[in-house]
Amino acid sequence: MKLTGGSTITDPVRHSVVELLQRYVDSLDDDDLEAWPDLFLEDGQYRVLSRENLALGLPAPLMYYYSRGMMHDRVKALREALTYQPVYVRHILSTPRLTMSDSGEVHAQSSFSVYQTTEEGVTQLFTTGRYSDLVALTETGARFRSRTVTMDTFGVLNLLAVPL
Amino acid sequence: MTRDVSDKSTHWPAEDFTRVPYEVFQAQETQRTEQEKIFEGPVWNYLCLSVEIPNPGDFITSYVGRTQVIVNRADDGNIYAFVNTCAHRGAQLVRKLRGNAKSHVCAYHQWCFDHKGNLAGIPQIRGVKGKGGMPEDFDKASCGLKTLKVDEYRGLIFGTFSPLTEPLRDYLGDKMRVEIDRIFERKVKVLGYYRQRVPANWKLYVENVKDPYHAGLLHLFHVTFGIYRPTMSGRVFMELPRGHSVLRTADIDEKQDEVNKAYSGIDKYRKDYRLADPSMFHVEPDYDDKVTNMIMTIFPNVMLGQVANTFQTRHVRPKSIDGFELYWTYLAFEDDDDRALEGKLRQSNFVGPAGYISLEDGEAGRLVQSGVENRPRHASVVEMGGRGPIEDIDSLSTEVAVRGFWKRYAELMDEAVK
Repeated sequence: MKLTGGSTITDPVRHSVVELLQRYVDSLDDDDLEAWPDLFLEDGQYRVLSRENLALGLPAPLMYYYSRGMMHDRVKALREALTYQPVYVRHILSTPRLTMSDSGEVHAQSSFSVYQTTEEGVTQLFTTGRYSDLVALTETGARFRSRTVTMDTFGVLNLLAVPL
Repeated sequence: MTRDVSDKSTHWPAEDFTRVPYEVFQAQETQRTEQEKIFEGPVWNYLCLSVEIPNPGDFITSYVGRTQVIVNRADDGNIYAFVNTCAHRGAQLVRKLRGNAKSHVCAYHQWCFDHKGNLAGIPQIRGVKGKGGMPEDFDKASCGLKTLKVDEYRGLIFGTFSPLTEPLRDYLGDKMRVEIDRIFERKVKVLGYYRQRVPANWKLYVENVKDPYHAGLLHLFHVTFGIYRPTMSGRVFMELPRGHSVLRTADIDEKQDEVNKAYSGIDKYRKDYRLADPSMFHVEPDYDDKVTNMIMTIFPNVMLGQVANTFQTRHVRPKSIDGFELYWTYLAFEDDDDRALEGKLRQSNFVGPAGYISLEDGEAGRLVQSGVENRPRHASVVEMGGRGPIEDIDSLSTEVAVRGFWKRYAELMDEAVK
């Protein structure tokens, strides 16, 4: 089978990237937020964009962190500083599409839904969206060089506290 | 004063508005009265920015209270606005939020309206094969769209339904115009929009932004990182008869011992709180006046805000008795260089639905709406800053601007209050 553009995704690479995507979801769904920044490179980038702004070609992000330090800061603020409604979180993830970039890193694209459940057990769909990732294959495993989240439900249900 | 049992108007327990009855946040019937007396009353409603519709034919959707309106620029370069309801059978006329159109044609029966809202054409007006059609004396001129009077100040577009509304310039007043000029004398551009569906009555957000007391107590980020502390130089001033206000904080004349005293026993000022990467704070300010926080509320429901080096309009759009959309238009200046623009993108982390500071205001709205549920006969206590006269104050330890809002609100809702 001929694959266009760059080299083929080998099974070990696929496994490593899928494992990263799954660990990402686990860190958020299991309230293991402290593990979340470490899934990125030290100078990794995390952005949440409104689908409306994206469609209009406007740059303002909902979240924009461009270092692992800023991600740790968000987690610390969620734990110690910010006032928001505590909810349980659940991600439902599609099968990712992986392609090799010319630089030897992996482009990954997947769709997701995030549900939130209140302390009294009421669940609602918080948003659907898409992850567009650039994943670096390091000696210690796959890490996000960048993760860009397109938020479909840009009429945000009150507020966005925990990363998507 | 005795109250007729059929009288649906709100009873205000205190003449100086130091008590706000919870029923104003939850009585279904207030919505219709507000639409008529407030939003369609003698007020200027914020619609959009001039830069959002730069060319003839450009249009954008906005709201006056719960009524959807279309704002568009005609070939004469002027801006016109109309209710987005076809004059024929009431269908929603314009079906896109934004765009450009030579005219507006209803999908249902193809009635066509010009940019000014005039009825321009009707299919089959003389019928088909000599039968049917509109009556001979049908008057197209009387079947235009319901229009608003539109006026503009410094690129901010406002509309009013009432012939009694004073000119926009006077409505804004001298004190507000100085603050609008400070930001909008430079040409702005839109960096993006944020939308939040807050599960609270819209007036709870208005209260929130007129309340500097909460800002130094709810928002740890404000406090700890020096964007806002009540010990900074602060002012609350009002255009009282019209219900507008400004809260302004500048990072001058602050003494550390006063900060320590104000926050003794309160865990919101954390000297030991450090960021691993504080670079989003290292953005060169656009102004050298040391203003770190400014929020203006123009009655009834728009805010112009500055937080650090971010500038926004916030349009509070009621959707139901216990829900509103907070619609942010996030701004930059036309002459910002790449560095300044990047700074504004970095500081977008302070504002919007996920913002370190503003996300908590959504939560505050939810908490109050939830707290007042089923308690219409009770009232909140608004005495911080004093009772009695509603006056400007050089302090942030006050809720006086909240009382200023309710005074104007009550006057419009119920003639008897005056």
